[in-house]
Amino acid sequence: MALLLVGCGDDGGGSGSSDDPIVVGISLPLTGDFSEPGKGVQRGYEAWAKITNDKGGLLGRQVELKILDDQSNADRVVADYEQLIGKDNVDIVVGPFSTRLVVPAARVAEEYGMLFVEPAGAAKEVFAQGFKNLFYAAPAVADDHYNHLAEYLLALPPGQRPTTVAYAAMDDPFAQGTAYGLKAKLEAGGVRTVVDEVYPPNTTDFGTIAAKIAASKADMVVGGSQYQDGVNLIVALQQLRYQPKLAAFSTAPTSPEFAAAIGNKTEGILAPTGYTQKAPYPSNVEFVQKYTAQFGSPPEEDEANAYTTGQVVAAAVTAVGCAEQGECQQKLVDWIRGNKVETVVGPLTWDATGKPQGAHMIQQWVGGQIQIVLPTEAKEVDLVYPKPAW
Amino acid sequence: MPSGALLFQSVILGLLLGGLYALLAAGLTLYFGIMRVVMIAHSAFLILAAYLAWWSHARLGVDPLLSMVVTVPLFFGLGVLLQRLLLARLRPVTLTMMSVLLTFAIAVLIEGLLGYAFTGTQRRIQLGYGSASLGLFGARIAVVKLIAFGLAAVALLTLYLLLKRTRFGWALRATIQHPDAARLLGIDTDRVASFGFGVGLATAAVGGTALALDTTIYPSLHWHWIGPLMAIIVVGGLGSVPGAAVAAMLLGLVQSLLQIPLGTTWAQTVFYLALFATLAFRPQGFFGGRLAQRF
Repeated sequence: MALLLVGCGDDGGGSGSSDDPIVVGISLPLTGDFSEPGKGVQRGYEAWAKITNDKGGLLGRQVELKILDDQSNADRVVADYEQLIGKDNVDIVVGPFSTRLVVPAARVAEEYGMLFVEPAGAAKEVFAQGFKNLFYAAPAVADDHYNHLAEYLLALPPGQRPTTVAYAAMDDPFAQGTAYGLKAKLEAGGVRTVVDEVYPPNTTDFGTIAAKIAASKADMVVGGSQYQDGVNLIVALQQLRYQPKLAAFSTAPTSPEFAAAIGNKTEGILAPTGYTQKAPYPSNVEFVQKYTAQFGSPPEEDEANAYTTGQVVAAAVTAVGCAEQGECQQKLVDWIRGNKVETVVGPLTWDATGKPQGAHMIQQWVGGQIQIVLPTEAKEVDLVYPKPAW
Repeated sequence: MPSGALLFQSVILGLLLGGLYALLAAGLTLYFGIMRVVMIAHSAFLILAAYLAWWSHARLGVDPLLSMVVTVPLFFGLGVLLQRLLLARLRPVTLTMMSVLLTFAIAVLIEGLLGYAFTGTQRRIQLGYGSASLGLFGARIAVVKLIAFGLAAVALLTLYLLLKRTRFGWALRATIQHPDAARLLGIDTDRVASFGFGVGLATAAVGGTALALDTTIYPSLHWHWIGPLMAIIVVGGLGSVPGAAVAAMLLGLVQSLLQIPLGTTWAQTVFYLALFATLAFRPQGFFGGRLAQRF
């Protein structure tokens, strides 16, 4: 028995024989700063492996995950991928969670000529490193989150279009990226910026920021926010009785706690989202149902991003017909670069830097629930504009 | 040039914010005045009180203001125990420095326990009047901010009367001004000091409740507060409650007004600029007279 195990270990799946599993190597922050999202990503990968194996695996072989814990540490993540690729000889590697760990991990994968699909590198710098094997498996980077909304607003007849917008963004690459992506597009379309506020992440009082926005009487307010600042700013705006025609905030409105936090005065508030359990894409319906059966609660965005990563890898492996280290990896990279992949977050394609070419869905609070309003092909209800008073 | 309406609105917001700052800083300056303790954990206790207010509202359906019936005496007791069991045991020579380390540890402990008990999820008290406001010459005054300001006014006035008009207050002030002389006069300075510490922590129970009315809370929030509060008590004069109150109102107002031309990031630095200016030109504080000598 021992001999058999050693034999298998040495082989490591590299031979690609039809009996061996396809081993997927992953390093994840299961402890430390990113352990909460890290565990979500782990569940997403596990769901992908189980659903794939239940259907007979990839190329007729079972999928096996080899997960190491990098303790949210960038040095550990490098050592982990060195071990997975060099010593453990895994067939495929996929990415960890957060830009801070994705970049060093991608560097190792690049060095070994491995395909590197990753679930969590939305910041610009990921795509500025010159990686040739990296693909971000999500609909869009932060700057493109509001693209569908920008298109919708600019397509409105001139009389109805908002003419002035107030922006308030947290000093954070992700939060600021979302607001400034929309700002650039609306300004290019002739919509005037009347307030442009940036606040540090430790801001606790939003009274004066809200006063500036209210005093500008802007038609629309856009928050480049995380959770707590988004909630505090919305309440501060409501306290000043500011009534915009449209209010869009990133992150906060999609949180399960949101409605209770602002006293259910949510009607009409918009938010971009990379994932929703309600998206009608066929693989998503299957994912939500089987994931819920496996883990007892429906998947959130981190889980979905990991699952999407698995779907992208699976599509390439199936199309190319191989998964081992060596020449096969370049074929996988070339295939993904030239093709569209259907996933739980919709169809994905990538540019030369690995940046996804999509946009986030836009959700709006309508009738006491957050519902998809854009893009048209995924919408559950029509966008309400101007929004009702809050 | 900002409009008059925006300036007026900002003045109102600044004064309301300053009132809250005054309440949150009052306890902090008291500890230092009484026994030269730098109480890093004060803001952690504020967040603890805020959580208790949230919890009693969300789980027991009690108005957050009523939670103070329990939290104020509870925090007073905790303060007495904390002083007797831990701080009183520190050696007088290194008291100030060691109190920083000890209370830092207490702050981390409270943060950890809050995270364990309530998770890291951000919480907010859902009040029917959370976004209600009153009009005043075109400006708006949020009801929750007004309640918080009212709490600050009542708490600070009570504290002032306690220190000025009661035997306990006289004993406390004597202990602060000259502990040896106070002992010679028959004052049990240890007992007075521990009660004084309890009073300081009781203000944290009121302050935390006021804070919880209009902000989203999470276990590590206290680190965002301790810096500005420390700056306030130094500018106000360590140990001086009226000094802290004046400094808090002034800094709140200046911060709010500076936000109009400079934005939030630069406006926040006003606390640290004031701190530097105080340490450089008037280390005893701008509003409190001689170090810890006056209320």
